[in-house]
Amino acid sequence: MTESVEPILRVQGLRKTYGEGHTQVVAVDGADMTVDEGEFVALLGPSGSGKTTLISMIGGLLAPTSGTVGLGATEVTAMSRKELTRFRATQVGFVFQSANLVPFLTARENLLYVASLVGTPKKDAHARVDQLLEELGLADRAGNLPEQLSGGERQRVAIGRALMNDPDLVLVDEPTAALDTAMGRSVVELLQREIKSRGKTGIMVTHDLRMVEYTDRVFEILDGVLTHVERPSALEH
Amino acid sequence: MNLGLAEIRRARLRFGLLTTAVALLVFLVLLLSTLGGALVGSLTGALDRLDAAGLVYAGNARDNIAASRLDPSVADAVAAVPGVAAVGAVGTFTTRAPLDGTATDVQLFGFTPGAPGAPTGLSEGRLPTAAGEVAVDGRGVAIGDTIDLENGEGALTVVGLLRGSQFNALPTLYVPLDAYTSAVTAANPGLPFVPINAVAFDVDPGADAAAVAAAVTEAVPATQAYTRADAVARIPGISSISQSFGILVGLTFVIGIVVIGFFFLILTVQKLRAFTLLRAIGASTGSLAATVALQISVVVVAASAVALGLTALALQGLSTGIPVALSPSTVITTVVAVWLFSLLAGMLSVRRIARIDPATAVGSR
Ligand SMILES: Nc1ncnc2c1ncn2[C@@H]1O[C@H](COP(=O)(O)OP(=O)(O)O)[C@@H](O)[C@H]1O
Ligand SMILES: [Mg+2]
Repeated sequence: MTESVEPILRVQGLRKTYGEGHTQVVAVDGADMTVDEGEFVALLGPSGSGKTTLISMIGGLLAPTSGTVGLGATEVTAMSRKELTRFRATQVGFVFQSANLVPFLTARENLLYVASLVGTPKKDAHARVDQLLEELGLADRAGNLPEQLSGGERQRVAIGRALMNDPDLVLVDEPTAALDTAMGRSVVELLQREIKSRGKTGIMVTHDLRMVEYTDRVFEILDGVLTHVERPSALEH
Repeated sequence: MNLGLAEIRRARLRFGLLTTAVALLVFLVLLLSTLGGALVGSLTGALDRLDAAGLVYAGNARDNIAASRLDPSVADAVAAVPGVAAVGAVGTFTTRAPLDGTATDVQLFGFTPGAPGAPTGLSEGRLPTAAGEVAVDGRGVAIGDTIDLENGEGALTVVGLLRGSQFNALPTLYVPLDAYTSAVTAANPGLPFVPINAVAFDVDPGADAAAVAAAVTEAVPATQAYTRADAVARIPGISSISQSFGILVGLTFVIGIVVIGFFFLILTVQKLRAFTLLRAIGASTGSLAATVALQISVVVVAASAVALGLTALALQGLSTGIPVALSPSTVITTVVAVWLFSLLAGMLSVRRIARIDPATAVGSR
């Protein structure tokens, strides 16, 4: 039964090159990947291997040199700039490495702003923000500006922000890079719980093997070449 | 959740300082244009508000009504020119009279009741119709007051008050031509005849005042006729006064716009990280531009309100000697112009926002 369901995310022959001639860099080299609805997968690879480039293309932030990305019924790579902006607001939730929040908005306002992008009625938006902040353990930090929050709290607000508009896909780029190990673990744990409990599909970029245990499957990328691994190669050493 | 207002709330000092700076500049613009307008008005109001299509001066008067001497019979010659519907003699000279308790210079105008050349701009009472009556544009004068002209030129009873009808930036008195003639005679005993300074004329319905003025100049020897607007514009010194104030107002205005434009550009550049993040998570360039436009509007509206208050206070406190009033049209024009041009200056910021590449929000780059 499950085999007959089409994967929600379909990446085919995705390629991105920067520059030309001698200095050309192949950041992503013909990536193929599918992710089923409700899956939380890891994208593992050393620095500079093309992880950010890949998820940027998947999330409609970066136009590929060639190849296609499909998310549900949406052909991401066929959309105009304007459509992509809307796509990012409605169908994708991003958690970036750092500088995730608007510095002059409180935690609560950072989430409310995202809701305003898609015209969520005020009442619904407020209810959803309260619920998300509660779940993320931030109920008492709602009125704080980002500068008044710890790194971990900030990433938790960013997770709430990513989930605010009920996206089809959550893209997370090295969410723990700015955090210490314990803090990083708790953030990823929370991320996994939020994604799983909502039945969301997620991709988390990381170069930290220890984070892999929170995910269902692992893709590995090396010098732009993407492979699906049963067991991350780095674990074999 | 309004991004622009939220930022203003969080950065009150910054926006407060900008608003203060803009308010001071708008205040200067308002004050300068009001004072400039009032000064020009008090130098030209008498001619500007004359009830006539045009004025005829002596040909050698260099467009200066005070220097123009015409034989009263010139009025008949002007009346005979085709296109001229009616004429009225106008005389004027500067004398002294005690007004509001102190002897001051005043400008005395004589006009022909019921003919072209009578003043308009009556705010109270009526125009004088007989010798001994006067209508006045000046401070501290009320209907029923008596004004004694110096040198026994006559005692006048105020029957009307005028606005915007001053000349030479002096309190200005309007009397029937007969009274004017006897005042001049009293001041200059032994004059063979009392010359008039100008002939005011009206034109036939449908006739072009400029063409009729040219015809008068042509037909009546040793005269120079102008439309009323031309006569006002040619009052000696007026164009340079208007220009000087224009330059002051224009420069202040431009400085204000530049301050706003650069301030918001700096603000935008400082916020590029946040704006890039917002573009990445799905905010459109247009919505971010609207944020800037809203902030500019808030600053301009707040600054204008402060500036208006300051201008009103300043006009109350300043003693200028000429009638000064803040006109709603000056206020509206200034505020709307500041607002529109500030939005235009905000395009600097919008251009920067439009160049944002949302992809750069990702990663640590
Ligand atoms: N805008 C860019 N211009 C040129 N080269 C780039 C750009 N972005 C990324 N690259 C290059 O592409 C490769 C992959 O980068 P990236 O996707 O950021 O790697 P990762 O996220 O795995 O660290 C690197 O060699 C990087 O230098
Ligand atoms: Mg990266």
